Amino acid sequence: MSVVAAAGCGPGRDEPPYPGPGEKKLNVYIWSEYLPREVIDEFKRRTGIEVHYDLYDSNEPVLEKLQSGVADYDLVVPSDYMVRILVHLKLLRPLDRGKLKNFGNLDPRFLDRQFDPRNAYSLPYVWGTTGYGFNRDRAGRSPDTWAPLFDPANKGQILMLDDMRECFAAALKFQGQSLNSTDPGVLKRAADLLKKQKDLVKTYNSGDYENILAAGDVSYAHGYNGQLAKLAAKEPRKFGFVLPKEGATFWMDSVCIPARARNIEAIYAFLDFILEPEVSAKIVNGISYASANVPARKFIRPEILNDPAIYPSEEALAKCEFIEDIGEATSILDEYWTEIKAQ
Amino acid sequence: MKRGAPGRAAYLLVLPTWATLGVFFLLPLGILFLVSFGQRATYGGLKPIEDLGLYISSGKFLANYARSFHPIYLQICWRSIWMATVTTVLCLAMSYPIAYYIAVKAPAGRRNLLLGLVVVPFWTSFLIRTYAWMFLLRTEGLVNRALLGAGLVAHPVELLYNNFAVLIGLVYGELPFMILPLFASLEKLDLSLLEASQDLGAGRASTFRRVTVPLTMPGIVAGVILVFVPSLGQFIVSDLLGGAKTILAGNLIQNQFAVARNKPFGAAVAFELTAAVLALLFAYTLYTKRKGQDVLL
Amino acid sequence: MSGKGRWLAGYAWLVYAFLYAPIAILIVFSFNRATQTAVWEGGTLDWYRNLAHNDLILASVKNSLIVGVVSTAIATVFGTLVALALGRYEFKGSGFTKSLLYLPIIIPEIVIGAALVTFFGAVALHLSLWTVVLAHVVFSVSYVAIVVRARLSGFDRSLEEAALDLGARPVQTFWRVTLPLIAPGIVAGALLCFTISIDDYVITSFVAGVGATTLPLQIYSMLKVGVTPEVNAVSTLLLAVTVVLIVIAQRLQQPPGERGETS
Repeated sequence: MSVVAAAGCGPGRDEPPYPGPGEKKLNVYIWSEYLPREVIDEFKRRTGIEVHYDLYDSNEPVLEKLQSGVADYDLVVPSDYMVRILVHLKLLRPLDRGKLKNFGNLDPRFLDRQFDPRNAYSLPYVWGTTGYGFNRDRAGRSPDTWAPLFDPANKGQILMLDDMRECFAAALKFQGQSLNSTDPGVLKRAADLLKKQKDLVKTYNSGDYENILAAGDVSYAHGYNGQLAKLAAKEPRKFGFVLPKEGATFWMDSVCIPARARNIEAIYAFLDFILEPEVSAKIVNGISYASANVPARKFIRPEILNDPAIYPSEEALAKCEFIEDIGEATSILDEYWTEIKAQ
Repeated sequence: MKRGAPGRAAYLLVLPTWATLGVFFLLPLGILFLVSFGQRATYGGLKPIEDLGLYISSGKFLANYARSFHPIYLQICWRSIWMATVTTVLCLAMSYPIAYYIAVKAPAGRRNLLLGLVVVPFWTSFLIRTYAWMFLLRTEGLVNRALLGAGLVAHPVELLYNNFAVLIGLVYGELPFMILPLFASLEKLDLSLLEASQDLGAGRASTFRRVTVPLTMPGIVAGVILVFVPSLGQFIVSDLLGGAKTILAGNLIQNQFAVARNKPFGAAVAFELTAAVLALLFAYTLYTKRKGQDVLL
Repeated sequence: MSGKGRWLAGYAWLVYAFLYAPIAILIVFSFNRATQTAVWEGGTLDWYRNLAHNDLILASVKNSLIVGVVSTAIATVFGTLVALALGRYEFKGSGFTKSLLYLPIIIPEIVIGAALVTFFGAVALHLSLWTVVLAHVVFSVSYVAIVVRARLSGFDRSLEEAALDLGARPVQTFWRVTLPLIAPGIVAGALLCFTISIDDYVITSFVAGVGATTLPLQIYSMLKVGVTPEVNAVSTLLLAVTVVLIVIAQRLQQPPGERGETS
């Protein structure tokens, strides 16, 4: 089996795979904790290939490194909007469906999304939603809309993600619009709402929101479902998670092959491996985010499978949308975001 | 005191730095400088320019620089300068006495130990340290509990997610960068000069102001630069401890590179910041040269 | 000690308390049963036990230490040499050198990181742990240069001249007269260098290659799924080891006969 990408390739030059009998290694660039130890060990037991992984905490280094052409990764796991950018910049290798016998395990509802039509380049890895967690003692009735986050009565009790697209998504959905709207009037109304909301927000935070909710600094915490679901599962009497009925963000991290990856056989062996039901279940059980693998459900812990925060119902999902790259309108949003934060 | 003739020695001494920084710093930045004259393409990246001549003569290539003079960006700039100044002043005030203690008053054998103990806290993870500050400062945190328990306040004080917390975080993080340069300068302070000043009738305050401070000015200036300048580009502390409710120059540039994927504009702002600070530093150098002092690089 | 000396010592203790307050919290929370970093739920040694098996964290610690030590060593040498050049000679290009040295301090990290990775791509230099070391040297030299230069200001050349008059060769003079006199500046600069390197996240995230994940990268990456007190545990251990090393180094430094004395 071929090994880690040969060093010294200039951009655009092709070189034969680096020979190396007995050296079996796969380099993955991924979010922390996304690959449980037991999955890697099992893969090594079966194929003798060692999976090495390096970590990142945002999509930007992925883009920069793939663009530079000098990062030698065989697999990356970018977020949805980043997949589209990488495809557009021709930084990904098309998937050879024929080499993936387990592809059929994937739930068709999660395939063929706008950021990668026909899944030419990516496979769903895990997915989730963005909603908010709330403190039951302070919130009174169980909320089910975005309203509490914009209610002046909750001044100083709100946390919002420090993420331009996510905040706009909440505002747009609350106003009944698509979160990928590029209509200037619609965007302006959303921006005005966010400007008014700023006064109510105690803090914007994208990394630590569940802890801030748990510590009691806020009563409502906008955030990704995984961490908030864990908190709610641990202390159900005190905390809950809401996927608002106006709709919310649907996000997905997908696994892709960089265009310059070389270790093709090993890569497909690994991709097929993580498409196996039991393996996919191990990943889900490890990090409490849902996967798109249908037969895996048999092996997922019931508390996770039945948690609506992690596996929401059909109707709850119906109104959710992916964040898509909105082209030029990104600059408009960025100006609004600067204004919101600067006031 | 500087020797007159340069000799080849000087060039030999600076060669390693010139080579390393020249190749691995100036060149990359040079590329980015060119990028700052470009325009963002739909997916981030650069828009190809059809007619270079027209692009330059029409002044379009300065679009990013022009945009950065928009009032909202100037306001951000001003806020960053203000925050950095306050941080630096507080830092200097806090650091001088302890640097003095370590350099002058502490037992000679203990100096390196005491100095080491100043930096060691910063070899832990910044994130965890900041979480620890949040734990201390939040409404139900330790500080408030202590204040309430001691009866100093009737209600918990808002110590977190505001400018107060940001200042604590910034000053805290910058202390080593002020204490260490001050120490380096104070350590060679000739105490007999201070004694002589007092023998000649100057009081303690006067001696401090007119003997100690001027003698340690190089350390003070070094510390001020090492604290003020990086503080201008700060943003993580204000995000975590300040609740991310303000946007500073650092946030602006970060956003352009990361979220808005508008590298040309981000680069333009970064280079303007650079030009402004360099101008400031060289103005100061000229000022001190005229006075015959020699305190900057 | 005089009255003023006592106040000063008292003040120093306060500053140390301020410096170590969050560290104390950090250490206590490394024993926290809960995974949330904000709420205390009782003590446990589990995180330390996990650490022993967590190859990834241990590997990242090793990477951080390698990068820290190597880049500090190189940057300290380069920075000291530059400071000497700027402090002692008038030469054409001194203005350029000064600007060059100020730049890494002024320019925000994300700009340096993005510029570097693009540059590495353009020259086909593959990312690795050594690109990280390189990047760290690039932004650290300035700190050493500025601190050592401050030390050199007003440097009394007569000592060196005396040594030369007495027959010492220039290199000998440098080694045995100049260097000891500027040593505190070099030590201060090196300490700053290492401090910056060990916790650098932004630049490192852009230039780290396969297998070059450092501790800060590891920790920030955990934010997506939740930072656990394992991070507190590893920080506490590093802290303990460092303090022990410093105390030992200090004991070794004291010449025999001075041990136990205060001056």
